[in-house]
Amino acid sequence: MAATALAGGSPADLSVPAAVQFNRDVRPIMANTCFKCHGPDPKANKANLRLDLPDDAARERTDKSGRKYTPIVPGRPDGSEVWRRISSKDPAVAMPPPDSLHLLSERDRMILKLWIAQGAKYEPHWAYIPPRKLAPPDSAGHPANPIDAFIRKELAERGVSPSPEADKRTLVRRLYLDLVGLPPTPGETEAFVGDARPDAYDRLVDHLLESPHYGERMAVAWLDLARFSDTVGFHGDQQFNDFPFRDYVIDAFNRNEPFDEFTREQLAGDLIANATDRQKTASGFNRLNMVTREGGAQAKEYLAKYAADRVRTVSTVWLGSTMGCCECHDHKFDPFKSKDFYAMAAFFADVKQWGVYADYDYTPEPELSGYTNDSPFPPEIEVDSPYLKARQDRLVVKYRSIVSEMARAMASDPAAAQAVRDWARAAAREAASGPSGWPVLHPVEAHAAHEGSDTSLNAKAPVAILPDDSVRIEFVRDANASRSGDSATVTLAGGEGPVARVRLEALPDAKFGGRVTNENAGGFFASVNLFSLQLELSVLRAGSSTPEPIKLADAYANQRTTSYENGHAMVSVVAEWRSDPSRVHEAQSADYILAEPLVLKAGDKVVAKVKSEEVGRVRFSVSPLGVPLPGSKADGEALALLGTPSCADAILPLAAECFRSTGAGHRPEFASLLSTVRGIAECRDGRAFTLVTEATTPLVTRVLHRGDWQDETGEVVQPSPPAFLPGLHASPGAARLTRLDLANWIVSRDNPLTARAFMNRLWKQYFGTGISSVVDDLGLQGEYPSHPELLDWLAVDFMDSGWDVKAMVRRIVTSRTYRQSSQYRPELADIDPNNRLLAHQTPRRLEAEFVRDNALAAAGLITLDVGGPSVHPYQPEGYYAALQFPDRDYVADTDEREFRRGVYMHWQRTFLHPMLANFDAPSREECTASRIVSSTPQQALTLLNDPTFVEAARGLAEEAMAAGPSAPFSASLDVAFRRLLSRPPEPREASSLEGFFKEQLAYYSGRPDEAKKLLSVGIHSPPASADPAMLAAWTSVARVLINLNEAIVRY
Amino acid sequence: MNLPFDPKVLREHQVEWSRRTFLGKSAQALGALALGSLLNPRLLGAGASAAPGPDGRWMGCLPSLHFPPRAKRVIHLYMAGGPSHIDLLDPKPELRRIHGQPFPASFTNGQQLAQLQNTKLIARGSTFNFSRCGLSGQWISDLLPHTQQIADDICVIRSLHTEQINHDPAHAFMNAGSMVKGRPSMGSWLLYGLGAEADDLPGFVVLMSHGPSGGEQPVSARQWSAGFLPGRFQGVQFQSRGMPVHYVGSPDGVCQSTQRQVIDEIARLNGVHEEETLDPEIQTRVAQYELAFKMQTSVPELTDLASEPQSVRDMYGVKEPGDGSFASNCLMARRMAERGVRFIQLYHRGWDQHGNLDTDIKDVCTRVDQASAALVKDLKQRGMLDDTLVLWGGEFGRTPMGQGTGRDHHINAFSAWMAGGGIRGGISWGSTDELGYRYIDDAQQMHVHDLHATMLAAFGIDHERLTYRFQGRDFRLTDVHGKIARGIFA
Repeated sequence: MAATALAGGSPADLSVPAAVQFNRDVRPIMANTCFKCHGPDPKANKANLRLDLPDDAARERTDKSGRKYTPIVPGRPDGSEVWRRISSKDPAVAMPPPDSLHLLSERDRMILKLWIAQGAKYEPHWAYIPPRKLAPPDSAGHPANPIDAFIRKELAERGVSPSPEADKRTLVRRLYLDLVGLPPTPGETEAFVGDARPDAYDRLVDHLLESPHYGERMAVAWLDLARFSDTVGFHGDQQFNDFPFRDYVIDAFNRNEPFDEFTREQLAGDLIANATDRQKTASGFNRLNMVTREGGAQAKEYLAKYAADRVRTVSTVWLGSTMGCCECHDHKFDPFKSKDFYAMAAFFADVKQWGVYADYDYTPEPELSGYTNDSPFPPEIEVDSPYLKARQDRLVVKYRSIVSEMARAMASDPAAAQAVRDWARAAAREAASGPSGWPVLHPVEAHAAHEGSDTSLNAKAPVAILPDDSVRIEFVRDANASRSGDSATVTLAGGEGPVARVRLEALPDAKFGGRVTNENAGGFFASVNLFSLQLELSVLRAGSSTPEPIKLADAYANQRTTSYENGHAMVSVVAEWRSDPSRVHEAQSADYILAEPLVLKAGDKVVAKVKSEEVGRVRFSVSPLGVPLPGSKADGEALALLGTPSCADAILPLAAECFRSTGAGHRPEFASLLSTVRGIAECRDGRAFTLVTEATTPLVTRVLHRGDWQDETGEVVQPSPPAFLPGLHASPGAARLTRLDLANWIVSRDNPLTARAFMNRLWKQYFGTGISSVVDDLGLQGEYPSHPELLDWLAVDFMDSGWDVKAMVRRIVTSRTYRQSSQYRPELADIDPNNRLLAHQTPRRLEAEFVRDNALAAAGLITLDVGGPSVHPYQPEGYYAALQFPDRDYVADTDEREFRRGVYMHWQRTFLHPMLANFDAPSREECTASRIVSSTPQQALTLLNDPTFVEAARGLAEEAMAAGPSAPFSASLDVAFRRLLSRPPEPREASSLEGFFKEQLAYYSGRPDEAKKLLSVGIHSPPASADPAMLAAWTSVARVLINLNEAIVRY
Repeated sequence: MNLPFDPKVLREHQVEWSRRTFLGKSAQALGALALGSLLNPRLLGAGASAAPGPDGRWMGCLPSLHFPPRAKRVIHLYMAGGPSHIDLLDPKPELRRIHGQPFPASFTNGQQLAQLQNTKLIARGSTFNFSRCGLSGQWISDLLPHTQQIADDICVIRSLHTEQINHDPAHAFMNAGSMVKGRPSMGSWLLYGLGAEADDLPGFVVLMSHGPSGGEQPVSARQWSAGFLPGRFQGVQFQSRGMPVHYVGSPDGVCQSTQRQVIDEIARLNGVHEEETLDPEIQTRVAQYELAFKMQTSVPELTDLASEPQSVRDMYGVKEPGDGSFASNCLMARRMAERGVRFIQLYHRGWDQHGNLDTDIKDVCTRVDQASAALVKDLKQRGMLDDTLVLWGGEFGRTPMGQGTGRDHHINAFSAWMAGGGIRGGISWGSTDELGYRYIDDAQQMHVHDLHATMLAAFGIDHERLTYRFQGRDFRLTDVHGKIARGIFA
């Protein structure tokens, strides 16, 4: 009987296998106790002895006293110095030295002795030899899935029977949570439970693999590996533009892109011939490392940090190896050399990047001139975002429905209808007085001012009123004078009638060489091509001497350069309008939307203050029409219609829409209209920026002695995979290897690691533990796999399938092994405490994102849109107080984005959302292959008190109450259980909860204020019809359910 | 050996399981049998993977201590931004003498600089006076009049040096001994090694304060991260606004007793499910809900400074209890220390004086000096200083060269002070050259790794033997370095 204890086995188990295997039995012992001094690291080597090399271990030596000895004499423990040392009780002789951190157990000694006695046969490390696809063990009497054949063979050898298949309710919930990360709806559960077809299970698997949510579920683990986050991580932890990368990952899993292609696109998408936007987006992978913009940081130091990150990431993700050690020294246990580390880094030496993403005077980076803490992190490209396009379309529909709703409300009110007619006439009259419905305002007075520190130049700033009603602003100044604080103020007449928008045109002027910029503003900066401008408006009523400020809601420009706030592209130019320098010879314009409608009467004047140092010539006009859809060309048509008085009644709805869109009356709707338009603009026609890899001239890569970035004496290295692994290597005279070469090598058959590393992680996703439990280290310090032949079989099958990920997922989840009950089996507690034999399934706590998704889905609140920018759910106030450069407030979403899935949550590296952090999501500062699963009071506090979960409880309560006002308690409870746990309650659960419910109902019935408070947590409003005490009591019941262990565990 | 699926075996297991659970949960059940062990969990000899103690509390991974312990807890007054040792704790008359002159290149050649890269280096002497203080005659700047009063209780370390010259990585180095992300901070290491003394509060707490005078640099939550250690060892930041701990307040409309009822019902239903699935994790989770509820009660009590007498508040200089000031946080720290929090870290941001040093450093000193000294005095008068280690210092120092009206970051020498926890008061440790540029006494030099080794030694821990295996390697706080400064202990 082979009775090797698996990892975590009872320490009392001293049984030793009859036939010792080096890889399984001996190497782990040596790696733990011998290799530190007698392993691959030459610097740590003692006694000039390497026990990892058979020839060296068998070589005869002479000690100082002249005694001859041989460390290992195969077949003869008694003649082997190793045995003499490890069996010695003499502290001067004993190995390992008694003060070592790791000592040999009695069982370890017995194994080593037996191994020597059996011939001291070495094996190469299992992970470094090509995986072999052995025929699955005799499958007679076993099911067809090879996974089961391998698993059941081990079970049979240990005399352990597998567990029966889980019941159908457990299975359907397990499959949904494992494959799409969402619970099944009660309907989906019942459909499966009632499906008696023999292939019902396989059909469900196929169905879920085709779900767009499969990609979201798969992405979570990959985004940990890719260290994907929304922020840069160092110092000010500013914003990255990179959500299209997440969309790419989700999409790639959904369309089942072969893993080799997926690999190539991320490491070298930019180098693929005729690279598509999608491939370039994927190459953003190489840019997701932490970066800095901190003043005083040394570019060279940070470039070394970035390079090291990429080596650690690539080696963890694809090689399942810990090359990070080799930044400073040769690996102490694995055959990776320091040189391998830098040769790997050299592959990425062509990535265009900056050590410090700013242009400081002590560390100049001219290409980043003008960059601030609000700026993005180049290089970026602009790509299509299907989510944003779809959102924009939805918002346009919403816009239309808001205005038509406003119009409808008005049509039923005769007085309002008359007001609309009056307004339409006035508007049409006014609009007819100007081209395209925009009457021009006539300047009657203009002057310039300078409010900056340099006040000597005001007089030299002539402002001329030109015949076309424009104003030329011409600053004349000394070469080095400060321009900051220049402004021109223009008093304007005309435009009688209603005004909802003001247009500011910047016009080219011959005096400025046909530019829209005041060339003389150049001075020191000669030939400015871009102006930035802020506009302040006020109205000077006839007979008054005090201008009243006009509040501006938003402004949209037809040409512009993007401004940023914490990395986000600003769409409204109301705070600052920066022109498009590539169109410096063309007129550019911006339309300012008034926050409140204005009516200009004869004699009223508009005073416009243009705060700009560069703009050359400006003109103003006004429109009676209000908030338009961005890019809308309807102004002219609408005005033409409004201008036909005979049709006044026929066009009343249109007139009402136009009227209401000015904000007249109906303030809340107008605010909603403004925010909808802003939302539409933020969708940017479905385009978004994303950071990408751009190849440039490679930097020289040297081996850094002990990782010291200041050391310039190290050997220059060329890109190359680790020297001990077969396949591609750098050779003198040959062309420099590229990232594409690296990617191709990674997914070549030469490389024994990639498929194993991937399949081992995939296995962990469905069973909780990898076949080798240390998924981020397949090296000597990792774990010998519990089922090495199975892991190899899966790895080869994965490659044979054409790197077909869905096929491998299907193979795993359709296995009998996967489908077993997860019922704990006490009788296995001693022989297999960690369930490595898989005699049953293992319950698995959901990852943070799915803890959230599950609650929101059960509550009926979840938004299942796929893709798009990160979202901002509720977060404790002040959580970002320690974040500066720039300071920032966290603004939680107040629309359906609040309820989007966890995978889309904003990921702030330095202050991860507390809910995510509490449920063990990593900060993604580093590539992470395996999340810790902890059980902490913070998790309890989150599920009990985080508004997201309180609101979800209320949502679930509403769903339960939807069973009907007169429905018995049990019927409502049944709904809640089925939504959250995919099963009906058991009688004792129901009776316990009924008692609890009555207690709660009594409490809240007597305290309506408390009930109201509980029901007002969150942004979604409870139905007006709901009885507050009932709903509060049900909310308490739902809070209990959402906090159950079963609710956050997949069984 | 074949163990078929046998309901009888199952039942036996359940009985056994609940018996164990009962034993684990009920201190009385242990009775006289193991009272001694209970009081001293280390005698339980739980092995390298020590089991949780009563109520699921972590008792530490160390079966026994390596040296006699002196300290039981740390209060780290973390002066974030890089306080100027030149102006606070390390008087340099020679630097004053050459003030305004070119800084000798013999000091700076080949050395790392931050914002002074590519500029002309000019000596900048301190404009502040230093006085000899206490019976020991320690030199302390007049910027710190209250600290001067505790001169005989503190050991001034003048030979600290680090490897990271920018705030973010330097914080990481000071906290975790490495600038590589994902390494546990020292508070996490201590908690992992020793466990907590209390289970109703987090064992590792972080508070943050700052002043209005600028010089504030961001401080990332990574600074109190557990890194690759389990998340339970992570520092918990108490917020200065809103709820002190995230989600520690019950939802609106849910009073304490309702919350209790909810938690009881959760436990009841979890119990039902446990009986059915035999999932051993469920007990752990039930225990976490008990801890959570205790925390919901204890945190408000802890943070309620109103119960502190006026005289105590005045001693610390607390204007408005709970106002998030450093003074208020120091008082809170003492309350935490009393309640068994193992590692308390008080960040005060505002020491990054690249410019306006003379005015800004004065301002920040008035915000921290009195409370820092009061904390030491208060601990002492309560008899807690003996086993509480207080560390006052930042992530690096500042250049003896001027940067306009301020100083740049400096890593070759900086100062800190320690008190309590077995540290000898009234001494100084290490010194710098005549310009305060670099430590000079190699026997008393104090690399950050050495500081960590010394701090762990105060707890009776050999820094080489507090390890955690991650990615195939035994990691420790001091990496492969660290020497204990034995002479620093009384």
